[in-house]
Amino acid sequence: MIGIVLFKTALTVYLVCAVVYAASLWVRRVLTARVATWLMLAALVIHTFSLASRWFIMGMSPVIGLHDSLSFFAWAMAATYLALQLRTKTRVLGAFISPVICLIMVVASVELGGDVGSSDALQGSLVTFHVIFSVTGEALFVVASCAGLMYLIQDDMLKKKKEGSLIRLFPSLRDLDKINHLCLSWGFTLLTFGILAGSGWARIVWGSHWQWDPKQIWTLLAWGLYGFLLHQRLVVGWQGRKAALWSLIVFVFLIALLIFGKIFFQTIHSFV
Amino acid sequence: MRLFLIGMSHKTAPIEMRERLQLLCSEGNQPLTELMRLDGVRETLYLATCNRVEIIARAQDDGQAVDVLKSFIYRQGNLSIAEMEKCLYIHRDLEAVRHLFRVTSSLDSMVMGEPQILGQMKEAYRMAVECGAAGVFLNRLSHHAFQTAKRVRTETGIAGNAVSVSYAAVELAKKIFGDLKGKVILLIGAGEMSELAARHLLRQGVGKIFIANRTYARAEAMAAEFQGTPVAFDRFCEVLPEVDIVITSTGAPGYVLTAEMVTAVLRRRRNRLLFLIDIAVPRDIEPAAGEIDNVYLYNIDHLQGVVDANKEGRRAEAMKAEAIITEEVEAFERWFNALAVVPTIVALREKVERIVKGELEKSASWLEKLGEEERNRVETLTTSIMNKILHEPMTGLKEESREKDALPFVAAVRRLFRL
Repeated sequence: MIGIVLFKTALTVYLVCAVVYAASLWVRRVLTARVATWLMLAALVIHTFSLASRWFIMGMSPVIGLHDSLSFFAWAMAATYLALQLRTKTRVLGAFISPVICLIMVVASVELGGDVGSSDALQGSLVTFHVIFSVTGEALFVVASCAGLMYLIQDDMLKKKKEGSLIRLFPSLRDLDKINHLCLSWGFTLLTFGILAGSGWARIVWGSHWQWDPKQIWTLLAWGLYGFLLHQRLVVGWQGRKAALWSLIVFVFLIALLIFGKIFFQTIHSFV
Repeated sequence: MRLFLIGMSHKTAPIEMRERLQLLCSEGNQPLTELMRLDGVRETLYLATCNRVEIIARAQDDGQAVDVLKSFIYRQGNLSIAEMEKCLYIHRDLEAVRHLFRVTSSLDSMVMGEPQILGQMKEAYRMAVECGAAGVFLNRLSHHAFQTAKRVRTETGIAGNAVSVSYAAVELAKKIFGDLKGKVILLIGAGEMSELAARHLLRQGVGKIFIANRTYARAEAMAAEFQGTPVAFDRFCEVLPEVDIVITSTGAPGYVLTAEMVTAVLRRRRNRLLFLIDIAVPRDIEPAAGEIDNVYLYNIDHLQGVVDANKEGRRAEAMKAEAIITEEVEAFERWFNALAVVPTIVALREKVERIVKGELEKSASWLEKLGEEERNRVETLTTSIMNKILHEPMTGLKEESREKDALPFVAAVRRLFRL
C-alpha cells in the first residue's frame, strides 16, 4: 500500500532529521541545523502525501483510528514547527521537537497494521473536525512545552553566564516566549473547538454531551489548565520564565496523568 | 637605572579587587605625587581604567624599588598581602616595555583592539607630565608606546574587527530580545563607554534612548547628539518601567541601581524582560538584581565570557600585532642602550678635554714664548691627537649599544678611565 510505504519513508526521514538535529547541538554549527530543517521539510512533504493517499485511496478521513490520529498529531507538530521557522529564527527548536515527532511516529507505526477504527461511532464529519482540532491543539501544546523547555535552558545559560557556542545556537528568549504564547493561544482555541465538536458528536452517538469518562475528564483538565495558563499570561501578565516553567509543568503533569489513566482506567473513548 | 611595571588587570584580578584599588587611587593626582615621594623613584606613570591599574616607574635600582612599590599598592588597596600577591604582576625593563606597548596597543584589553585604551594611556601620560613625574625616559617610552599603538592599528585588522565590550553587550541583548528594533534604552552615566554602547545600539535600530547623568548638562549634550531624552539623575527610576536595556557606567562609589528599585517596577513592567549591563568599576548595579526573574544582569567581568567566544577569528591578526610589538620593543631597546652609552661618551670626552686643557695650562709659560700662529698649531695638534685616540672607543661604544646590552662594555670603559 502506497500510504504505508510513504509513512515509513517519512518516519525514516524524521529519524534522520532528529539525529542531524542532535548532531547540530553536538557540533554547534548552524549549518547542520539548517540541513536538519530541510530534512524535516522533506519528511513533512512525504508525510503529507502519505496522509493524502490514505484519505483518497482508502476513501476515508485520515484522522480516525490510533495510527492515523497519531500520524496526524506528528504531522501537525512538524507543520507548526516549520511554520514557526519561517517567522522566527528558531532553528534549534527542531532539535527538541523532532524526537517527540519520531516517538509519536514510532508508536503510530506499531498500530499501522491494525484494523483502522471503523466502528459506527466514528462515522461522521463532526468526528473528523473533532479529531483534527483536538489533535492539532494538543500538538501545539507540545510545541509550546518544547519552547518552554528551551526557554528555561536559555534562561539558565544567560543567568549563569555560561557563554559559549550553545547559547549562540539557541533562539532569543523573546522568540521562544512568543512561540510559547502563540502555540498556547492557538492550541487552546483549537482544543476548545475540538471539545465542542466532540461533545456535539457524543450527543448524537451516546445521547449526552458529557459522559464523565476518564478521557473526557483528562481533556477538560488539560483545557482548564491551559486556559488558566493563558489567563495568567493575558490578564496577570505572566511572561518569560514563569510562563515557560508552568507550561512545562502542566505538560509533564498531563502526560503523567495520561499514562496513569491508560493503565488504571477503562474508557469508552478508546479510539485514541 | 631600571624600569618597573607593577599592576593588576582583568586577567589577574577579580572586579572587587580592582574596584578597591581604583577607588582609593582616584582622587586627582594623589597617586602620582605619592609615588614620586617614594624612595628611589625617579619617574612614574599611573594608569587606571575599567579593566586595569598599572604603575610604571623608573627607579634608582632594583630590589628595594619593587618592595617600595608593592607596599604602596598594599597601602592604597588596604588589602592583605596574600590577597594582593595573587593578583599582581611585576615586569622589569624590557618586559615592562613590552607589556606597556601591548596594553597601549589594546592587545591586553578585555576586548582586543578596543580604541579607548590609547586615549586613557595618553591621559595618564598627560597627568604625569603635569605633575612633573615624567622625565626624558618616560617621555620617550610613552611616545614610543603611542607610535606602536598607531602602527598596530593601521597595519593589522585588530581595530577593524574590534569587538568592544558594548558590542558584546549588543550581541547578548539580541540573545534576549531577538530584535532590538523599537527597544528602549536607559544610559546611566554619560561616559566614554556608554557613548560607545549607545552608538552600537543605535545602529541596531533601538527606538528610544534615555540618558541620565549626574551633571545634567552633559546628559543634555549627549541626548542632543543621539536624539535621546535627558533624565535627571535622581529620577531615572521613573522611566524604568518603559525601559528594556539599562547600561550603567557612572564613577559612583556605591550602587546606583539596587535590586529593590528593580523589584519595585516589575509589576508596572508586566514582567517584561529587562537587560542590565554594568560596565562601571566600581559596579553600579547591585548583583542581587540579576537574580530576579526575567532580569539579566551582566557586569564587565561577565562580558569577558562573550568576548572570548569571538576571539578565535582574531588570532591571526593578533599574531601580526605581536610581531610589531616585538619590533618596537627592540627599537626601544636600541634607544635605551644608546641612552646608557651617551653619558659615558660625554664623560669620556670631557675627561680627555680636561686633561688636554690642564696640560696646556701647565705649559702656559713656555707656550707664551711662541708666536700666535704657532700657538694655534699646537692647540690644533693636541685636539686632533685627542680626537684620533677617542674615535675608536667612542664608535665602539655606540656600535656595541646597537647590538646588545652595552652595560658591561660601558662599565669597563668607566672603570678604565675612572669616570
